[in-house]
Amino acid sequence: MALIRADGLSKGYRSGDSLVRALDGVSLDVPQGAFVVLAGRSGSGKTTLLNMLGGLDRPDSGSLVVAGHDVLRMSRDERAAFRLHHLGFVFQAYNLIRVLTARENVAYVLQLRGMEKRQRLALADRWLAEVGLQGFEHRRPDQMSGGQQQRVAVARALAASPDLVLADEPTANLDSHTGANLIALMRHLNEQQGITFVTASHDPSVIAAARTLVTMQDGKIVDLREG
Amino acid sequence: MFALAWRNVLRNLRRSLITVAAVALGLTSLVFLWGFNDGVHNTMMRNLQEVIVGSLQIHRQGYFRHPRLVDTLPEPERVTGQLHQLGVERLSYRLRTFALAAGADTSEGLVLLGMHPAMEQRVTRLAGKVDQGRFLRDNQEAACVLGKTTARNLGLRLGDEVVILTEDRFGSLAAEKLRLVGIISSGEMGIDRGLAMVPLGFMQRMLGMEGAVSEIAVQLTRERLEPVTVALRTSLDAGYEVLRWYDMYPMMKQWVELENAFYYIFLSIVLLIVAAGIMNTVLMSMLERIHEFGVMMALGCSRRYLAGMVLTESMLLGMTGVVLGTSAGLLLVHYFHAAGIDLSGQMASVARFYVNPVVHTEINTDHLLHTVLSVLLASAAAAIWPAVRAARLEPVEAIHHV
Ligand SMILES: Nc1ncnc2c1ncn2[C@@H]1O[C@H](COP(=O)(O)OP(=O)(O)OP(=O)(O)O)[C@@H](O)[C@H]1O
Ligand SMILES: [Mg+2]
Repeated sequence: MALIRADGLSKGYRSGDSLVRALDGVSLDVPQGAFVVLAGRSGSGKTTLLNMLGGLDRPDSGSLVVAGHDVLRMSRDERAAFRLHHLGFVFQAYNLIRVLTARENVAYVLQLRGMEKRQRLALADRWLAEVGLQGFEHRRPDQMSGGQQQRVAVARALAASPDLVLADEPTANLDSHTGANLIALMRHLNEQQGITFVTASHDPSVIAAARTLVTMQDGKIVDLREG
Repeated sequence: MFALAWRNVLRNLRRSLITVAAVALGLTSLVFLWGFNDGVHNTMMRNLQEVIVGSLQIHRQGYFRHPRLVDTLPEPERVTGQLHQLGVERLSYRLRTFALAAGADTSEGLVLLGMHPAMEQRVTRLAGKVDQGRFLRDNQEAACVLGKTTARNLGLRLGDEVVILTEDRFGSLAAEKLRLVGIISSGEMGIDRGLAMVPLGFMQRMLGMEGAVSEIAVQLTRERLEPVTVALRTSLDAGYEVLRWYDMYPMMKQWVELENAFYYIFLSIVLLIVAAGIMNTVLMSMLERIHEFGVMMALGCSRRYLAGMVLTESMLLGMTGVVLGTSAGLLLVHYFHAAGIDLSGQMASVARFYVNPVVHTEINTDHLLHTVLSVLLASAAAAIWPAVRAARLEPVEAIHHV
């Protein structure tokens, strides 16, 4: 069964007198364990689609089921709870809570889920080690490089064992070498742990890592290739 | 959330410290001003009660408005029994009428007040106000204490004879010759002039009214006044009236309440300033973190959680300020309670109105509580707008906010 089943998702933005079709009837099935990359030019609708999938934004029409949940039927607070229990997010930059250390950032979502303190700190340390950040547990975000911060974000997204991780340009603020490392890590976790990733990017190294490459243009999917 | 809120407060330490300092300073000054205000007021009210009125008086019903010699207490012993049951020991029997006092060549109308010398000294400080000679001593002796103005008007000196003329209970003329044993100088007009104090036993005998009492004056602490009044009013029948000092002399209490109302207005102005300061800090810190709020929403924080966090941050600022400000204020009040603030230079003119020239600060619990609670409330109110704004953020827009 598909983890994500999106059907005819459309979203328009009014800018002045004209209507921008950010999404124009997007249908997409993502199976469990996939590693999907959304590619396409700037403004093609990648971020908009990703936000829909994560229940951060609502489409004007269409249907969407994620992990068996009808996301569009949920209230705002239900969607927040849904994200907490089923999803992980990695954004372009500044993903971390500034006043918390790396370890606390990872443990934070576990705390929101009600995990007991010792357990969540231990789990956070394990995931930091997993993304290669052993020894950085007590660093605050401003004491880490951009690549290290993105790794912490990946560890945080994964620590709560989500059904799906959504990443929007996770490498955009990194140099190409660091970006390639990050995407290799994500790909590794996808293969090792079977976690489903949907990543929006126009970074060639990310596109190269795709197992499913979805190309968008003007709010439509124009190409879908299994790699 | 609590720990996170703390760190957010500490994140911009300088700004938070300035806010806390402002709250603390506001509260310190409020507490100290209350301390001064309450110190002056409580002393005034205590002086009024301890000079002669007492905290409350018990009469025959209607006596206070229309005092007549014959309207004495039905059963003074029963009232005393009730008072003892309530644990009240500081009470005094008095008999009151009008009289003419004649000195060497003039005479003057005055209030003739019979007091039990030993009982009276447990209730009022009249004995301490005696300037020349002594206070009444023996309950039966033919002695009298006069205020210094009356003594001067009558041309009397210590040891002189005073003739007192009055009506007894049947309306017949009664006259006695008494020795002036003491002259009082209290600073209060109603005492220094127009009052003659004589032993209760002597006066009862003079008027043929053995055992008669027209008022029982009782001295109580501030906290005990209301409960004792209520208890007496329920246990004594309609033949009695139980009047607190301010039922009899309401002016001072009204004056104190007026001044307190003024302080409450001042308090609300300080509160507005405090709330505006906290709101500014909390709103600024919230607006700086819009992106972070968006990320937290994506992680699954509910709107209520985020609003709660903003509220907690505001309360932490408020509470830290309250703790520091209250402590500093109470320290000041405590220090000047013992040391006193000497205003004798500035206050010569009001020294008469039961005010002491040296103010010993003290703060009434209700005033302290109201002040502390309203500052806490103000810091909660200050968070409402920032919290609502945080809860209303659209996740997508917040995340893209840089
Ligand atoms: N809040 C908004 N208001 C108006 N127009 C919007 C809004 N969000 C997106 N759009 C428009 O929708 C279209 C799709 O935007 P989207 O951000 O999804 O593109 P993208 O593929 O993620 O682009 P990029 O590669 O630059 O991130 C664009 O034309 C954009 O201008
Ligand atoms: Mg985008």
